[in-house]
Amino acid sequence: MTAETVKIECRNVSKIFKQRAGTVQIPVLDDISLRVLENEFLVIVGPGQCGKTTLLRIIAGFETPTAGHVLLDGKEISGPGPDRGMVFQKYTLFPWRTVMANVEMGLKLRGMAKKERREIAGHYIQLVGLQGFEKAYPHELSGGMKQRVGIARAYANDPKVLLLDEPFGQLDAQTRYLMEQETARIWSAEKKTVIFVTNSIDEAVYLADRIITLEGKLPGRVKSSYTVHLPRPREHIDKKFLELRHQITEETELLL
Amino acid sequence: MNPDTRLKDPLSLRVTPWISFIGFFVVWQLLIDTGIVPRILLASPAEVGQLFIDKLTNPDPDGAVLLTHTMVSLLEAVLGYVLSLVIGIPLGLLMGWFVVAEGLARPPFEMIRPIPPVAWIPLAIFWFGIGLTGKVFIIWACGVVPCVINAYTGVRMTSPTLIQMARTYGASDWQIFTKICVPSALPMVFGGLQIALALAWTTLVAAELIAANEGLGYLITMGRRLLRPDMIVLGMIMVGLTGWIIGNIIDRIERRLTAGLERGGAAT
Amino acid sequence: MNAALEHPTTVQGLQRHKSPAAILRRLLKNRYVLYLVSISGLLLIWHFSAVNFATSKYMPTPWMVLKELWRIAHENLAGKDLLGHLWSSLHRVLIGFAIGSAVGVPLGLFMALNRYINNLVKPVFDLIKPMPPISWISLAILWFGIGEESKVFIIAIGAFVPALINSYNGIRLVDPALYDAIRMLGANRWQTMMEVTFPAGFPALFAGLQISLSVAWSCVLAAELVSARSGMGFLIILGMTMSNPSMILSGMVVIAVTAYLITVVLSKVEKWVCPWKVELPQ
Ligand SMILES: Nc1ncnc2c1ncn2[C@@H]1O[C@H](COP(=O)(O)OP(=O)(O)OP(=O)(O)O)[C@@H](O)[C@H]1O
Ligand SMILES: [Mg+2]
Repeated sequence: MTAETVKIECRNVSKIFKQRAGTVQIPVLDDISLRVLENEFLVIVGPGQCGKTTLLRIIAGFETPTAGHVLLDGKEISGPGPDRGMVFQKYTLFPWRTVMANVEMGLKLRGMAKKERREIAGHYIQLVGLQGFEKAYPHELSGGMKQRVGIARAYANDPKVLLLDEPFGQLDAQTRYLMEQETARIWSAEKKTVIFVTNSIDEAVYLADRIITLEGKLPGRVKSSYTVHLPRPREHIDKKFLELRHQITEETELLL
Repeated sequence: MNPDTRLKDPLSLRVTPWISFIGFFVVWQLLIDTGIVPRILLASPAEVGQLFIDKLTNPDPDGAVLLTHTMVSLLEAVLGYVLSLVIGIPLGLLMGWFVVAEGLARPPFEMIRPIPPVAWIPLAIFWFGIGLTGKVFIIWACGVVPCVINAYTGVRMTSPTLIQMARTYGASDWQIFTKICVPSALPMVFGGLQIALALAWTTLVAAELIAANEGLGYLITMGRRLLRPDMIVLGMIMVGLTGWIIGNIIDRIERRLTAGLERGGAAT
Repeated sequence: MNAALEHPTTVQGLQRHKSPAAILRRLLKNRYVLYLVSISGLLLIWHFSAVNFATSKYMPTPWMVLKELWRIAHENLAGKDLLGHLWSSLHRVLIGFAIGSAVGVPLGLFMALNRYINNLVKPVFDLIKPMPPISWISLAILWFGIGEESKVFIIAIGAFVPALINSYNGIRLVDPALYDAIRMLGANRWQTMMEVTFPAGFPALFAGLQISLSVAWSCVLAAELVSARSGMGFLIILGMTMSNPSMILSGMVVIAVTAYLITVVLSKVEKWVCPWKVELPQ
């Protein structure tokens, strides 16, 4: 990494959910500060229900933090926008659109001419390995394929930052492993600033330039940070890989 | 909208339903009082209310007090409805699980199914006359269809994993049917009950409008014959109210019985 | 079961060597054999109950119903032939349905999109909803006379209710995650509506129209049973007053077939307009 420009910065972000007209308060995030550099692959690891989705949704602009700021290129974000792309934990393809139409949706919203956006969308469909399925509807695809479309859709919109929320959480181990490889390949082919949320340390070590772990209980706090210097493509059975994985496991309560 | 935002609704949003509700009756009353809508076409809410009180005790001019009309309609509806449940639900359940039952019952059922319930009325009157039997038959014929369909679909939608599991534990066909298919079909069955009820009530009113000498439908018809809009509107309101109350009762029972079957929210 | 007796050829052709009990068991597992048994059994019971017993006065044989169907298809009945009556009913249905859904669908949409409109309309709608559409017939006749208008009014009310409920629910129940997805891609409010709200609500809306149309078909019959000079409802009530059960039954056959065709056509249309809709496993 040569250019050390900060792309995303969270400054002391806290979030408290209020329920039943404020009588019940759930503190979900507490004083989260983190920086993501340009073209860095940051992985946030935490166990279930520790506020990972909430943090990502704040960065995406769907939720406003109770305290603190989120900056993109030094400017405070306000609401969701096409400068950030998100792949959701739950498959959220538009069921009434074909794969092609799903992938080109962002470009269409921007008013790009049909021929041009077809070309771009086609490129990303190819990149995620779905050529031949352009005309298929989401319900005709498997879970892994749906998530590939989700990734292609986010990529095609050419966001500055890509946010992925446990994108492979619903997949079987085999497909998940395959998708991790694909993600690493796609990211190497087209560098982007990525924030990737997962609950799997293995997945984190495989993908990340840097890993941030969250504490295992609410409210979520940053626990520690690791820089991964392993060369790519990585091997799950590489000695250094296992060492780092072991180290992180030791230092978190996570059993994964 | 989740409940916590609703509490914080601005005042204007909270009063609009009341404005609308009260406004509806005020406008209605004013339309009559000012003569914009002539009295022979519509009765005002006040007149309907007065008639309601009067009809509680006075059998004139249609021959029976309000409670009698309501009870007659209810009796007809409940008898036909219960009969359609007693026959339709077991039939649908069996059709869902046993090939023989489905094979034998399906053709006649598919023939009856597309007949709109009201189309049974002339035949029923021709066969049984305008009394109780004819009405019960009509209600039965229209209630049985949704009962069968929903019970059948409910069984068919039983999770195959549960069935497989029971098989591996050596359960017999009949055991699987009674212990797994029937309970898991319950929510669907109750959906059918609601549909059947709405249909039964509507059809009954239609039947009473065409041929009856008692009942709420009859009250509505007499209102027209005697040019008494207040009687018509009172009849309509009683029909709506009674249907609404029975619907709520069924809803209650459903919630009691299926409380344990509610599925948890999907994992995020 | 005497299924084996009725189909000796199939039995022999299939398995000559098996015991009769095994053959019977096998046949009882075959859906189509059972259908055949059921239909022929039904026709037989029907036929014999119509010729033999005390019921014969009330029950025409299947053959008589067929002949009657042929008769009313040609003869003039109160000024129209069968097709004429069918068209009278359909004509009313189409007009009433068009009016009911033209009011119900937009109103449901507006209620789903704007809570003020919702809060204003819903209380009144909830007052009207539980009243069966046919219960309006007396008022309708007072207001519009016994002509076409009163029937169209009933049908319009019948079609209006499900059209409104389903277009409202269709839009209210859109998966909020889809809104997140489209906003993330940079959609403005208008685009969100066009790309998510309407397409996501469409299947429910269409289902509402399907219900509306079948309710409309019931309503027209009910209205015609009460008072009419033409239409399918009039035809069967005419059969009743003339004490002609064959006529009632043949009218019911036509009514059922029409209702069936309406559903078939609509589900074809549905497949054509929303190809993405996943079908429930049968
Ligand atoms: N809109 C909301 N209103 C109230 N509470 C919320 C809301 N969203 C999330 N929460 C609460 O915040 C907590 C953390 O939720 P979040 O979805 O961020 O966790 P997560 O780490 O993504 O979990 P998972 O691994 O299961 O996806 C949960 O306890 C949840 O109940
Ligand atoms: Mg999450």
